[in-house]
Amino acid sequence: MSRTTDILVVGSGMAGLAAAIVARSQGKRVALLSRGCGSLNIGSGCVDVLGYIDGRAVAGNPLDALDALPPRHPYRLVGREGVETALGLLREVCARRDAPLNAAATGNRRVPTILGTLKPTWLTLPSFQAERLETAETVLVAGIRGLKDSHPALVTAQLRRYPHPARIRWHETHLENPMPGAHRNLSPLDIARLVETAEGAAWLISGLHKALRATPADLVLLPPVCGLCGTTWKGLAAAVPVPLVEMAALPPGVGGLRLYTALLEELRSLGVDMIENARAVAAECDGGSCRALVAETACGSRRFEARAFVMATGGFMGGGFQSSPGEAREAVFGLPVLQADGAPLPQRPEDWSDKDIFGSHAFASAGVMVNADMQPLRADGAPALNNVFFAGRSVGGYDFAAEKSGNGVAVATAWRAALSACAQC
Amino acid sequence: MSIHHPTPDACIACTACVVNCPVARATPNYLGPRLVGPAYERFRLLGLGEEASLHYCSNCKNCDISCPHGVQVSAINMTARAEYCLAHKPALRDWVLGHGELLARLLRPLPAGLKNFGMLNPLTRRALDRIGISARAPMPAFAPERFRDRLAKTYQGMQPRKVALFPGCFIDIYDPGTGFDLVWALNRAGYEVIIPKEFSCCGLPMIANGFRKDAEKNAKRNLRALQRMRAEGIPVISSCPSCVLMHNQDVPEFFPELVRDGRPQVLDAQAFLLDCVERGELSLTPENEVAERIIYHAPCHLRAQGGGLPGYELLRLLPGLRVDNADAGCCGISGSYGFKKEKYDVAMTVGAPLFDKVRRSGADLSCSECGTCRIQLVHGANRPSLHPVSLLRRVLEKRA
Repeated sequence: MSRTTDILVVGSGMAGLAAAIVARSQGKRVALLSRGCGSLNIGSGCVDVLGYIDGRAVAGNPLDALDALPPRHPYRLVGREGVETALGLLREVCARRDAPLNAAATGNRRVPTILGTLKPTWLTLPSFQAERLETAETVLVAGIRGLKDSHPALVTAQLRRYPHPARIRWHETHLENPMPGAHRNLSPLDIARLVETAEGAAWLISGLHKALRATPADLVLLPPVCGLCGTTWKGLAAAVPVPLVEMAALPPGVGGLRLYTALLEELRSLGVDMIENARAVAAECDGGSCRALVAETACGSRRFEARAFVMATGGFMGGGFQSSPGEAREAVFGLPVLQADGAPLPQRPEDWSDKDIFGSHAFASAGVMVNADMQPLRADGAPALNNVFFAGRSVGGYDFAAEKSGNGVAVATAWRAALSACAQC
Repeated sequence: MSIHHPTPDACIACTACVVNCPVARATPNYLGPRLVGPAYERFRLLGLGEEASLHYCSNCKNCDISCPHGVQVSAINMTARAEYCLAHKPALRDWVLGHGELLARLLRPLPAGLKNFGMLNPLTRRALDRIGISARAPMPAFAPERFRDRLAKTYQGMQPRKVALFPGCFIDIYDPGTGFDLVWALNRAGYEVIIPKEFSCCGLPMIANGFRKDAEKNAKRNLRALQRMRAEGIPVISSCPSCVLMHNQDVPEFFPELVRDGRPQVLDAQAFLLDCVERGELSLTPENEVAERIIYHAPCHLRAQGGGLPGYELLRLLPGLRVDNADAGCCGISGSYGFKKEKYDVAMTVGAPLFDKVRRSGADLSCSECGTCRIQLVHGANRPSLHPVSLLRRVLEKRA
């Protein structure tokens, strides 16, 4: 296949989807090439912007804290205004597609997880409005029988250790198993899908009413089972007398699927061409520009031509980087994967990680060095390619796990990379 | 028979396949692709028996499409089924569903009217239902004459180029009309269509029903012709996405020893037509105003090929047609899966979002490359359904 598109976006995680939407909205013909469905659709769907800097929690609006980051951090390259615009566009799309995202007035939300930790995040769906815990005195943590990883006693025991909600009186309850004959352990997704049906919604509502009669509370914390679309959530929230707050869960985390579905619907309605199950493995370059990518598919190698390329292929986990002892390279163009300060990764692979699991790992912030247009850079600082732009985890200089900045950086860099790609064609 | 096992090691248990598996969504009785596939493979390799819900896998390949790590989940499941069926003889029903082409060959002397009366009357349907072929499932009717036999008698004009067509059982036995629509388009682009005599069922229904040995036999026959075509420089195409995927991906995966001299290459016929358009061999100037609204359904086995949606692209190039992509997932039928009595409801639940989308679309007809997807679309959404090449002909052919 050799039909040329304007912009080829590679990757179907948050960065790839966001870049394709931005580029298509600029009127360009866009194709999205993907191998696998990324990790957005299995995650919590919380859009972390910045939770921690050097291990210290960010207070207030995280956008106000971006200037404290090092100058090569992707947020500094995009700039505060750019980050705000990008997040604003994401919110617009998601609101239109029945998956509205909003932020708390005072700062990061601390969303309880199903393991009883608090996860700082910025934009969430309305079901994760954890600030409601601040005014609650009695909280009922609901588990569901048959649901795996559902242990209300673990959640309350863990949450009691945090100073902030310490005055809360915690109670636990278990809702009945809604699918008792199932051959498998239920996941939150199984129950969320069930709750999309009338019988499923009735089961949840009556179960919560019954639990609240037995144990009156100001708020119910429950796994992310409140359906898949915003309308279902609204119906549930209106049918239960106290606020409901969902906990972030292990994959499949349901919240991410709600966002993923919204973004895919937008892509469809905009008319982005989707090429699934194709893994980009090589590039055809001509001097400083790329003509085509070569992808491995079930039916052999295929070429995909475009005028500009946005690479949102992920890092070590996503397949965007390939590593061998003493070296890591970006998988398609063979660009060097460098540490946050621009230095190569250490010779010995054991030095790529820190002994402390929560420490600062070289591998975690290593990536492709880019300029403010998201163009990959050569060692001398000049762009390596003029029509290729990187976004998301493949960009170096940040540690999304330690900072809690994954989806925020993905959206911000995708927006910038897509606009830069549009300027090329 | 030594069975090659695809490796499960790249699986990190991320659950992407679980989220995207249409069967796991439809029934909690299926453990899901991650657990039945890569996770259970470890027990299988230790000789610890089979997971009870393996039979639920429909081989639709949405697990493979969604896996971020390149695990061939469906191949693991189909390999497990092959081994299970070596130890436990599959039911007569599964043999029947896996050997549609052989059955058609046996019934060939009978006129189509008699065959269809014989197969489709309520009494036979009840008898078939008793062996496990659902009486509620839509059964396709035999065509009066096999496509390849009719094509052999058809004058195609003097064409400067040749292309070999792998017709696939559906077109060959049930739907020659679609085959002739494709031949019409290829003749118009300057290609004479030939069908090498060795071409037989690609083997996918055999794999899906546990008859690995039979699939291997067919693969050998087909490979002989594919190698000859390659030697003669004649491209081979198929308009059936499942056949294309079987030849290109599954045959090398399941029978690596058969393809040591090179992997078979069967091209998607719609992608081939698009290339004809690009090379200037095929003009898309319309002869007829066909102001129809069409809703397109992408077969899962087409999405799994990694070449995008060439049939949809072709439709969008046709002036006058208004084509929307339903993009509502699997139709549920998965070849022979939805015909099975105990799977019929699962298949209909899987297809429900698609049927709903088609019904609400306001489209006059639906369109899809896969023959059994079209049967299921007609059955579930109550609208006629055509192959993209048939629409192409409707728009481009000068009517007398």
